[in-house]
Amino acid sequence: MRKLIEIIDDIGGGLLFLRDVFRSGARGPWRYDIIAEQIWKVTQQSFSTTALAGFFVGAIMTVQFTMQIKEFGALGYLGGLATSGTIREVGPLLIAFMLSGKVGAFTSAELGTMRVTEQIDAIRCLGANPLREIIFPRFVGIVVSSFFLLAVGLVMSVAGGLLMGLVFSGINPEEYLRHIPTIVSFPSILSGLIKCLAFALVLSSICTYKGYTTTGGAKGVGRSVVNTAVATMVGIVIMDWLTSYLGETVLRMVMGS
Amino acid sequence: MIRFENVVKKFGERTVLNGITFSVDAGEILFILGTSGTGKSVLLKNIVGLLRPTSGRIFIDDEEVTHLSEEEYLSIRKKCGMVFQHPALFDSLTVFENIAFGLRRHYQLDEEEIRRRVARVLGLVNLPDVEERFPAKLSYGMQKRVSLARTVAIDPQILLFDEPTTGLDPVTTNTINNLIRDLSRTLHTTSLVVSHDMHCALAIADKILVLDKGSIVAYGTADEMKRSTQPLVKDFLQEALELAKTH
Repeated sequence: MRKLIEIIDDIGGGLLFLRDVFRSGARGPWRYDIIAEQIWKVTQQSFSTTALAGFFVGAIMTVQFTMQIKEFGALGYLGGLATSGTIREVGPLLIAFMLSGKVGAFTSAELGTMRVTEQIDAIRCLGANPLREIIFPRFVGIVVSSFFLLAVGLVMSVAGGLLMGLVFSGINPEEYLRHIPTIVSFPSILSGLIKCLAFALVLSSICTYKGYTTTGGAKGVGRSVVNTAVATMVGIVIMDWLTSYLGETVLRMVMGS
Repeated sequence: MIRFENVVKKFGERTVLNGITFSVDAGEILFILGTSGTGKSVLLKNIVGLLRPTSGRIFIDDEEVTHLSEEEYLSIRKKCGMVFQHPALFDSLTVFENIAFGLRRHYQLDEEEIRRRVARVLGLVNLPDVEERFPAKLSYGMQKRVSLARTVAIDPQILLFDEPTTGLDPVTTNTINNLIRDLSRTLHTTSLVVSHDMHCALAIADKILVLDKGSIVAYGTADEMKRSTQPLVKDFLQEALELAKTH
Protein backbone atom coordinates (compact mmCIF):
# COMPACT_ATOMS: atom_id res chain seq x y z
CA MET A 1 0.00 0.00 0.00
CA ARG A 2 2.83 2.40 0.92
CA LYS A 3 4.54 1.63 -2.39
CA LEU A 4 1.33 2.44 -4.27
CA ILE A 5 1.04 5.79 -2.45
CA GLU A 6 4.67 6.53 -3.32
CA ILE A 7 3.99 5.81 -7.02
CA ILE A 8 0.90 8.04 -7.03
CA ASP A 9 2.87 10.73 -5.21
CA ASP A 10 5.65 10.44 -7.80
CA ILE A 11 3.20 10.74 -10.71
CA GLY A 12 1.56 13.76 -9.07
CA GLY A 13 4.96 15.36 -8.49
CA GLY A 14 5.88 14.73 -12.12
CA LEU A 15 2.68 16.34 -13.41
CA LEU A 16 3.19 19.42 -11.21
CA PHE A 17 6.78 19.60 -12.43
CA LEU A 18 5.61 19.50 -16.05
CA ARG A 19 3.07 22.24 -15.35
CA ASP A 20 5.84 24.45 -13.94
CA VAL A 21 8.14 23.66 -16.88
CA PHE A 22 5.46 24.63 -19.41
CA ARG A 23 4.62 27.78 -17.44
CA SER A 24 8.27 28.80 -17.42
CA GLY A 25 8.54 28.06 -21.13
CA ALA A 26 5.36 29.98 -21.91
CA ARG A 27 6.65 33.07 -20.11
CA GLY A 28 9.75 33.01 -22.31
CA PRO A 29 12.09 34.21 -23.62
CA TRP A 30 13.05 30.87 -25.19
CA ARG A 31 16.72 29.96 -25.12
CA TYR A 32 16.93 28.91 -28.78
CA ASP A 33 20.70 28.49 -28.54
CA ILE A 34 20.40 25.90 -25.75
CA ILE A 35 17.48 24.16 -27.49
CA ALA A 36 19.50 23.89 -30.72
CA GLU A 37 22.52 22.67 -28.76
CA GLN A 38 20.40 20.00 -27.07
CA ILE A 39 18.88 18.82 -30.35
CA TRP A 40 22.33 18.58 -31.89
CA LYS A 41 23.87 16.87 -28.86
CA VAL A 42 21.16 14.23 -28.45
CA THR A 43 20.95 13.56 -32.20
CA GLN A 44 24.70 13.29 -32.59
CA GLN A 45 25.05 11.00 -29.57
CA SER A 46 22.32 8.59 -30.56
CA PHE A 47 22.04 8.74 -34.36
CA SER A 48 24.23 5.75 -35.20
CA THR A 49 22.88 3.47 -32.47
CA THR A 50 19.26 4.37 -33.30
CA ALA A 51 19.83 3.78 -37.01
CA LEU A 52 21.51 0.46 -36.26
CA ALA A 53 18.74 -0.60 -33.88
CA GLY A 54 16.10 0.38 -36.45
CA PHE A 55 17.91 -1.57 -39.16
CA PHE A 56 17.97 -4.75 -37.09
CA VAL A 57 14.36 -4.39 -35.90
CA GLY A 58 13.32 -4.36 -39.57
CA ALA A 59 15.57 -7.34 -40.26
CA ILE A 60 14.12 -9.32 -37.32
CA MET A 61 10.55 -8.60 -38.39
CA THR A 62 11.29 -9.77 -41.94
CA VAL A 63 12.79 -13.04 -40.71
CA GLN A 64 9.79 -13.66 -38.45
CA PHE A 65 7.23 -12.83 -41.16
CA THR A 66 9.07 -14.98 -43.70
CA MET A 67 8.69 -18.04 -41.50
CA GLN A 68 4.99 -17.32 -40.97
CA ILE A 69 3.84 -16.49 -44.50
CA LYS A 70 6.09 -18.83 -46.47
CA GLU A 71 3.69 -21.69 -45.68
CA PHE A 72 0.87 -19.80 -47.34
CA GLY A 73 2.89 -18.94 -50.44
CA ALA A 74 2.42 -15.26 -49.80
CA LEU A 75 6.04 -14.14 -49.77
CA GLY A 76 5.18 -11.40 -52.24
CA TYR A 77 3.45 -9.58 -49.41
CA LEU A 78 6.46 -9.87 -47.09
CA GLY A 79 7.63 -6.28 -47.53
CA GLY A 80 4.21 -4.79 -46.84
CA LEU A 81 3.43 -6.97 -43.83
CA ALA A 82 6.86 -6.67 -42.19
CA THR A 83 6.97 -2.90 -42.72
CA SER A 84 3.43 -2.43 -41.42
CA GLY A 85 4.16 -4.39 -38.24
CA THR A 86 7.42 -2.55 -37.72
CA ILE A 87 6.12 0.96 -38.29
CA ARG A 88 2.89 0.56 -36.34
CA GLU A 89 4.19 -1.23 -33.29
CA VAL A 90 7.50 -2.96 -32.85
CA GLY A 91 9.79 -0.31 -34.37
CA PRO A 92 8.79 2.70 -32.26
CA LEU A 93 8.63 0.55 -29.10
CA LEU A 94 12.05 -1.08 -29.37
CA ILE A 95 13.82 2.05 -30.59
CA ALA A 96 12.20 4.08 -27.79
CA PHE A 97 13.46 1.50 -25.26
CA MET A 98 16.94 1.96 -26.61
CA LEU A 99 16.66 5.75 -26.48
CA SER A 100 15.39 5.59 -22.90
CA GLY A 101 18.57 3.76 -21.92
CA LYS A 102 20.80 6.23 -23.69
CA VAL A 103 19.19 9.70 -23.79
CA GLY A 104 17.09 9.21 -20.65
CA ALA A 105 19.91 7.91 -18.49
CA PHE A 106 22.35 10.54 -19.76
CA THR A 107 19.98 13.46 -19.15
CA SER A 108 18.94 12.20 -15.73
CA ALA A 109 22.60 11.79 -14.70
CA GLU A 110 23.51 15.23 -16.05
CA LEU A 111 20.67 17.02 -14.25
CA GLY A 112 21.12 14.92 -11.11
CA THR A 113 24.78 15.87 -10.93
CA MET A 114 23.85 19.53 -11.39
CA ARG A 115 21.40 19.18 -8.51
CA VAL A 116 23.70 17.45 -6.01
CA THR A 117 26.63 19.75 -6.78
CA GLU A 118 24.33 22.73 -6.11
CA GLN A 119 24.56 24.12 -9.65
CA ILE A 120 20.77 24.37 -9.82
CA ASP A 121 20.69 26.31 -6.53
CA ALA A 122 23.48 28.53 -7.90
CA ILE A 123 21.37 29.29 -10.99
CA ARG A 124 18.52 30.45 -8.72
CA CYS A 125 20.89 32.56 -6.61
CA LEU A 126 22.29 34.21 -9.74
CA GLY A 127 18.87 35.50 -10.67
CA ALA A 128 17.73 32.88 -13.18
CA ASN A 129 14.92 30.34 -13.23
CA PRO A 130 16.43 26.84 -13.66
CA LEU A 131 13.20 25.52 -15.18
CA ARG A 132 13.44 28.13 -17.95
CA GLU A 133 17.24 28.08 -18.25
CA ILE A 134 18.02 24.37 -18.23
CA ILE A 135 14.90 22.18 -18.04
CA PHE A 136 12.63 23.66 -20.73
CA PRO A 137 15.37 23.75 -23.40
CA ARG A 138 16.32 20.16 -22.59
CA PHE A 139 12.69 19.07 -22.61
CA VAL A 140 12.05 20.58 -26.06
CA GLY A 141 15.43 19.43 -27.38
CA ILE A 142 14.87 15.83 -26.30
CA VAL A 143 11.33 15.71 -27.70
CA VAL A 144 12.42 17.06 -31.10
CA SER A 145 15.55 14.94 -31.41
CA SER A 146 13.94 11.75 -30.06
CA PHE A 147 11.05 12.13 -32.51
CA PHE A 148 13.53 12.62 -35.34
CA LEU A 149 15.67 9.67 -34.20
CA LEU A 150 12.63 7.40 -33.91
CA ALA A 151 11.56 8.39 -37.43
CA VAL A 152 15.09 7.70 -38.72
CA GLY A 153 14.99 4.33 -36.95
CA LEU A 154 11.76 3.48 -38.76
CA VAL A 155 13.21 4.39 -42.17
CA MET A 156 16.24 2.27 -41.36
CA SER A 157 13.96 -0.62 -40.38
CA VAL A 158 12.65 -0.68 -43.96
CA ALA A 159 16.25 -0.87 -45.20
CA GLY A 160 16.98 -3.72 -42.76
CA GLY A 161 13.86 -5.56 -43.88
CA LEU A 162 14.77 -5.04 -47.51
CA LEU A 163 18.24 -6.54 -47.04
CA MET A 164 16.95 -9.50 -45.04
CA GLY A 165 14.22 -10.06 -47.65
CA LEU A 166 16.97 -10.42 -50.25
CA VAL A 167 19.43 -12.47 -48.17
CA PHE A 168 17.13 -14.64 -46.06
CA SER A 169 13.86 -14.82 -48.01
CA GLY A 170 15.23 -14.60 -51.54
CA ILE A 171 12.94 -11.74 -52.59
CA ASN A 172 14.34 -9.03 -54.82
CA PRO A 173 14.07 -5.41 -53.59
CA GLU A 174 11.50 -4.43 -56.23
CA GLU A 175 9.13 -7.21 -55.14
CA TYR A 176 9.73 -6.43 -51.46
CA LEU A 177 8.82 -2.78 -51.96
CA ARG A 178 5.88 -3.37 -54.34
CA HIS A 179 3.19 -4.08 -51.71
CA ILE A 180 4.38 -1.63 -49.10
CA PRO A 181 2.17 1.25 -50.40
CA THR A 182 -0.91 -1.01 -50.55
CA ILE A 183 -0.53 -2.53 -47.06
CA VAL A 184 1.15 0.34 -45.20
CA SER A 185 -1.68 2.85 -45.30
CA PHE A 186 -1.50 6.51 -44.32
CA PRO A 187 -3.17 5.81 -40.92
CA SER A 188 -0.43 3.21 -40.25
CA ILE A 189 2.30 5.75 -40.87
CA LEU A 190 0.43 8.37 -38.86
CA SER A 191 -0.04 5.88 -36.02
CA GLY A 192 3.70 5.15 -36.00
CA LEU A 193 4.60 8.84 -36.00
CA ILE A 194 2.09 9.65 -33.23
CA LYS A 195 3.62 6.88 -31.16
CA CYS A 196 7.10 8.27 -31.82
CA LEU A 197 5.96 11.69 -30.59
CA ALA A 198 4.17 10.23 -27.55
CA PHE A 199 7.22 8.15 -26.59
CA ALA A 200 9.49 11.18 -27.02
CA LEU A 201 7.24 13.16 -24.66
CA VAL A 202 7.24 10.36 -22.07
CA LEU A 203 11.01 9.99 -22.28
CA SER A 204 11.69 13.71 -22.01
CA SER A 205 9.23 14.26 -19.13
CA ILE A 206 10.52 11.40 -17.00
CA CYS A 207 14.25 11.94 -17.45
CA THR A 208 14.09 15.70 -16.77
CA TYR A 209 11.84 15.19 -13.73
CA LYS A 210 13.93 12.40 -12.22
CA GLY A 211 17.16 14.29 -12.83
CA TYR A 212 15.85 17.60 -11.47
CA THR A 213 14.51 16.03 -8.26
CA THR A 214 17.64 14.04 -7.45
CA THR A 215 18.68 14.01 -3.80
CA GLY A 216 21.39 12.24 -1.83
CA GLY A 217 24.75 12.92 -3.49
CA ALA A 218 26.47 10.54 -5.91
CA LYS A 219 24.38 7.60 -4.69
CA GLY A 220 21.25 9.63 -5.41
CA VAL A 221 22.41 10.29 -8.98
CA GLY A 222 22.83 6.54 -9.52
CA ARG A 223 19.38 5.93 -8.07
CA SER A 224 17.85 8.57 -10.37
CA VAL A 225 19.43 6.98 -13.45
CA VAL A 226 18.07 3.53 -12.56
CA ASN A 227 14.63 4.97 -11.72
CA THR A 228 14.62 6.87 -15.02
CA ALA A 229 15.38 3.73 -17.02
CA VAL A 230 12.64 1.74 -15.28
CA ALA A 231 10.04 4.52 -15.29
CA THR A 232 10.55 5.42 -18.97
CA MET A 233 10.20 1.81 -20.07
CA VAL A 234 7.02 1.34 -18.05
CA GLY A 235 5.75 4.75 -19.24
CA ILE A 236 6.49 3.92 -22.88
CA VAL A 237 4.64 0.56 -22.67
CA ILE A 238 1.62 2.26 -21.05
CA MET A 239 1.72 5.02 -23.67
CA ASP A 240 1.94 2.36 -26.40
CA TRP A 241 -1.21 0.73 -25.10
CA LEU A 242 -2.96 4.10 -24.78
CA THR A 243 -2.07 5.32 -28.26
CA SER A 244 -2.99 1.94 -29.79
CA TYR A 245 -6.33 1.89 -27.95
CA LEU A 246 -7.20 5.51 -28.74
CA GLY A 247 -5.90 5.19 -32.30
CA GLU A 248 -8.07 2.17 -33.05
CA THR A 249 -11.10 3.82 -31.40
CA VAL A 250 -10.67 6.99 -33.45
CA LEU A 251 -10.09 4.98 -36.62
CA ARG A 252 -13.30 3.01 -36.05
CA MET A 253 -15.23 6.22 -35.51
CA VAL A 254 -13.81 7.74 -38.70
CA MET A 255 -14.45 4.60 -40.71
CA GLY A 256 -17.97 4.42 -39.22
CA SER A 257 -17.79 0.79 -38.08
CA MET B 1 20.38 43.92 8.28
CA ILE B 2 19.37 40.27 8.75
CA ARG B 3 16.94 39.26 11.47
CA PHE B 4 15.52 35.84 12.31
CA GLU B 5 12.47 35.72 14.58
CA ASN B 6 11.63 32.33 16.03
CA VAL B 7 12.32 30.52 12.75
CA VAL B 8 11.38 26.85 12.59
CA LYS B 9 12.17 24.62 9.63
CA LYS B 10 10.84 21.08 9.40
CA PHE B 11 11.35 18.40 6.78
CA GLY B 12 8.36 16.13 7.31
CA GLU B 13 8.41 15.18 10.99
CA ARG B 14 12.07 16.16 11.42
CA THR B 15 12.72 19.59 12.94
CA VAL B 16 15.99 20.98 11.59
CA LEU B 17 15.76 24.56 12.89
CA ASN B 18 13.99 24.99 16.19
CA GLY B 19 12.99 28.57 17.08
CA ILE B 20 16.04 30.43 15.76
CA THR B 21 16.22 34.10 16.76
CA PHE B 22 19.24 36.32 16.06
CA SER B 23 20.25 39.40 14.10
CA VAL B 24 23.32 40.53 12.18
CA ASP B 25 24.16 44.18 11.65
CA ALA B 26 25.37 45.66 8.37
CA GLY B 27 29.08 45.08 7.74
CA GLU B 28 29.45 42.35 10.38
CA ILE B 29 31.05 38.95 9.85
CA LEU B 30 29.06 36.22 11.58
CA PHE B 31 30.43 32.69 11.81
CA ILE B 32 27.86 29.92 12.28
CA LEU B 33 29.42 26.87 13.87
CA GLY B 34 28.04 23.48 14.73
CA THR B 35 28.54 19.79 14.19
CA SER B 36 27.33 18.16 10.95
CA GLY B 37 23.57 17.98 10.46
CA THR B 38 22.68 20.71 12.95
CA GLY B 39 20.96 22.91 10.35
CA LYS B 40 23.70 25.43 9.50
CA SER B 41 23.30 25.18 5.71
CA VAL B 42 19.52 25.09 6.06
CA LEU B 43 19.73 28.38 7.96
CA LEU B 44 21.69 30.03 5.11
CA LYS B 45 19.37 28.63 2.44
CA ASN B 46 16.41 30.15 4.27
CA ILE B 47 17.97 33.59 3.93
CA VAL B 48 18.40 33.35 0.18
CA GLY B 49 15.01 31.71 -0.38
CA LEU B 50 16.25 28.33 -1.56
CA LEU B 51 14.30 26.93 1.39
CA ARG B 52 11.35 28.52 3.17
CA PRO B 53 10.74 28.42 6.92
CA THR B 54 7.90 26.33 8.29
CA SER B 55 7.12 29.12 10.74
CA GLY B 56 8.70 32.30 12.08
CA ARG B 57 9.85 35.39 10.22
CA ILE B 58 12.98 36.47 8.37
CA PHE B 59 13.83 40.13 7.68
CA ILE B 60 16.47 41.50 5.33
CA ASP B 61 17.01 45.28 5.56
CA ASP B 62 13.79 45.48 7.60
CA GLU B 63 11.81 43.92 4.75
CA GLU B 64 10.08 40.67 5.62
CA VAL B 65 11.05 38.04 3.06
CA THR B 66 9.39 35.00 4.61
CA HIS B 67 6.49 34.78 2.19
CA LEU B 68 7.92 36.40 -0.96
CA SER B 69 7.20 34.58 -4.22
CA GLU B 70 10.03 33.20 -6.37
CA GLU B 71 9.76 36.24 -8.67
CA GLU B 72 9.75 38.68 -5.75
CA TYR B 73 12.83 36.99 -4.31
CA LEU B 74 14.91 38.00 -7.36
CA SER B 75 15.66 41.44 -5.91
CA ILE B 76 16.68 39.84 -2.59
CA ARG B 77 19.04 37.46 -4.42
CA LYS B 78 20.68 40.45 -6.05
CA LYS B 79 21.50 41.64 -2.52
CA CYS B 80 22.54 38.21 -1.19
CA GLY B 81 25.34 36.34 -2.90
CA MET B 82 25.86 32.74 -1.86
CA VAL B 83 29.03 30.68 -2.11
CA PHE B 84 28.13 27.01 -1.95
CA GLN B 85 29.85 24.08 -0.32
CA HIS B 86 30.65 22.75 -3.80
CA PRO B 87 32.14 25.24 -6.26
CA ALA B 88 28.84 24.78 -8.21
CA LEU B 89 30.40 26.14 -11.40
CA PHE B 90 28.64 25.37 -14.68
CA ASP B 91 30.79 22.74 -16.39
CA SER B 92 29.82 23.68 -19.93
CA LEU B 93 30.72 27.37 -19.50
CA THR B 94 34.14 28.99 -19.32
CA VAL B 95 35.24 30.85 -16.19
CA PHE B 96 34.32 34.11 -17.92
CA GLU B 97 30.82 32.88 -18.81
CA ASN B 98 30.33 31.48 -15.31
CA ILE B 99 31.05 34.87 -13.75
CA ALA B 100 29.14 36.77 -16.42
CA PHE B 101 26.07 34.55 -15.85
CA GLY B 102 24.79 36.47 -12.82
CA LEU B 103 25.78 39.84 -14.28
CA ARG B 104 23.71 39.20 -17.41
CA ARG B 105 20.64 38.21 -15.35
CA HIS B 106 20.79 40.88 -12.65
CA TYR B 107 21.96 43.89 -14.67
CA GLN B 108 21.60 45.38 -18.13
CA LEU B 109 25.29 45.78 -18.95
CA ASP B 110 27.12 46.03 -22.24
CA GLU B 111 29.75 43.41 -23.08
CA GLU B 112 32.63 45.78 -22.37
CA GLU B 113 31.38 46.46 -18.84
CA ILE B 114 30.84 42.75 -18.22
CA ARG B 115 34.45 42.03 -19.31
CA ARG B 116 35.71 44.78 -17.02
CA ARG B 117 33.76 43.48 -14.03
CA VAL B 118 34.81 39.86 -14.61
CA ALA B 119 38.48 40.91 -14.79
CA ARG B 120 38.07 42.97 -11.60
CA VAL B 121 36.60 40.11 -9.51
CA LEU B 122 39.13 37.61 -10.82
CA GLY B 123 41.78 40.08 -9.68
CA LEU B 124 40.17 40.21 -6.23
CA VAL B 125 40.52 36.43 -5.84
CA ASN B 126 44.05 36.44 -7.33
CA LEU B 127 43.14 34.46 -10.42
CA PRO B 128 44.12 36.41 -13.50
CA ASP B 129 44.34 34.73 -16.94
CA VAL B 130 41.83 31.95 -16.33
CA GLU B 131 38.86 33.56 -18.08
CA GLU B 132 38.85 31.26 -21.09
CA ARG B 133 39.47 28.06 -19.14
CA PHE B 134 36.76 25.56 -18.28
CA PRO B 135 36.14 24.65 -14.60
CA ALA B 136 37.34 21.07 -15.14
CA LYS B 137 40.78 22.44 -16.05
CA LEU B 138 41.17 24.20 -12.68
CA SER B 139 42.18 22.77 -9.31
CA TYR B 140 39.49 22.43 -6.65
CA GLY B 141 40.87 25.40 -4.73
CA MET B 142 40.85 27.55 -7.89
CA GLN B 143 37.28 26.49 -8.60
CA LYS B 144 36.31 27.64 -5.10
CA ARG B 145 37.91 31.03 -5.78
CA VAL B 146 36.12 31.35 -9.12
CA SER B 147 32.89 30.52 -7.31
CA LEU B 148 33.64 33.29 -4.84
CA ALA B 149 34.41 35.69 -7.72
CA ARG B 150 31.11 34.79 -9.42
CA THR B 151 29.21 35.63 -6.24
CA VAL B 152 31.09 38.87 -5.61
CA ALA B 153 30.60 39.98 -9.23
CA ILE B 154 26.92 40.82 -8.70
CA ASP B 155 27.91 43.30 -5.96
CA PRO B 156 25.90 41.76 -3.15
CA GLN B 157 25.46 43.58 0.14
CA ILE B 158 25.30 40.24 1.95
CA LEU B 159 27.69 37.34 1.37
CA LEU B 160 26.67 33.85 2.50
CA PHE B 161 29.39 31.20 2.65
CA ASP B 162 28.40 27.56 3.09
CA GLU B 163 31.46 25.72 4.38
CA PRO B 164 33.78 27.49 1.94
CA THR B 165 36.90 25.59 2.99
CA THR B 166 35.53 22.03 3.06
CA GLY B 167 37.78 19.66 1.13
CA LEU B 168 40.68 22.10 0.85
CA ASP B 169 44.25 21.72 2.06
CA PRO B 170 45.39 23.95 4.99
CA VAL B 171 47.22 26.43 2.74
CA THR B 172 44.23 26.96 0.42
CA THR B 173 41.93 27.04 3.46
CA ASN B 174 43.99 29.90 4.81
CA THR B 175 43.85 31.69 1.45
CA ILE B 176 40.06 31.38 1.28
CA ASN B 177 39.63 32.53 4.89
CA ASN B 178 41.79 35.58 4.23
CA LEU B 179 39.79 36.29 1.08
CA ILE B 180 36.54 36.17 3.06
CA ARG B 181 37.94 38.65 5.58
CA ASP B 182 39.47 40.94 2.96
CA LEU B 183 36.44 40.92 0.66
CA SER B 184 34.09 41.63 3.53
CA ARG B 185 36.22 44.55 4.67
CA THR B 186 36.96 45.89 1.16
CA LEU B 187 33.44 45.58 -0.21
CA HIS B 188 31.77 46.46 3.14
CA THR B 189 29.50 43.45 2.93
CA THR B 190 27.70 41.64 5.71
CA SER B 191 29.02 38.09 5.76
CA LEU B 192 27.59 34.88 7.21
CA VAL B 193 30.01 31.97 7.15
CA VAL B 194 28.97 28.41 7.93
CA SER B 195 32.01 26.57 9.22
CA HIS B 196 33.46 23.96 11.58
CA ASP B 197 36.59 26.03 12.11
CA MET B 198 36.56 27.83 15.48
CA HIS B 199 40.22 28.79 15.03
CA CYS B 200 39.34 30.82 11.92
CA ALA B 201 36.12 32.14 13.48
CA LEU B 202 38.01 33.54 16.47
CA ALA B 203 40.41 35.29 14.11
CA ILE B 204 37.92 36.74 11.61
CA ALA B 205 34.40 36.90 13.02
CA ASP B 206 32.75 39.86 14.67
CA LYS B 207 30.21 37.48 16.14
CA ILE B 208 29.95 33.71 16.45
CA LEU B 209 26.75 31.67 16.61
CA VAL B 210 26.86 28.02 17.67
CA LEU B 211 24.06 25.68 16.66
CA ASP B 212 23.30 22.31 18.19
CA LYS B 213 20.41 20.10 17.06
CA GLY B 214 18.70 23.04 15.39
CA SER B 215 18.89 25.42 18.35
CA ILE B 216 21.25 28.25 19.21
CA VAL B 217 23.42 27.26 22.18
CA ALA B 218 25.81 30.23 22.10
CA TYR B 219 25.91 33.62 20.41
CA GLY B 220 28.38 36.43 20.96
CA THR B 221 31.76 37.95 20.18
CA ALA B 222 35.02 35.98 20.01
CA ASP B 223 35.93 37.10 23.53
CA GLU B 224 32.54 36.02 24.87
CA MET B 225 33.01 32.62 23.21
CA LYS B 226 36.41 32.18 24.83
CA ARG B 227 34.77 32.65 28.23
CA SER B 228 31.81 30.39 27.45
CA THR B 229 31.14 27.35 29.63
CA GLN B 230 28.80 25.75 27.12
CA PRO B 231 30.13 22.17 26.49
CA LEU B 232 29.94 22.29 22.68
CA VAL B 233 31.66 25.69 22.56
CA LYS B 234 34.36 24.33 24.86
CA ASP B 235 34.86 21.38 22.51
CA PHE B 236 35.25 23.73 19.55
CA LEU B 237 37.68 25.92 21.54
CA GLN B 238 39.73 22.88 22.52
CA GLU B 239 39.91 21.83 18.86
CA ALA B 240 40.93 25.37 17.85
CA LEU B 241 43.65 25.34 20.50
CA GLU B 242 45.04 22.05 19.19
CA LEU B 243 44.93 23.38 15.64
CA ALA B 244 46.81 26.50 16.69
CA LYS B 245 49.50 24.33 18.32
CA THR B 246 50.02 22.30 15.13
CA HIS B 247 50.55 25.52 13.17
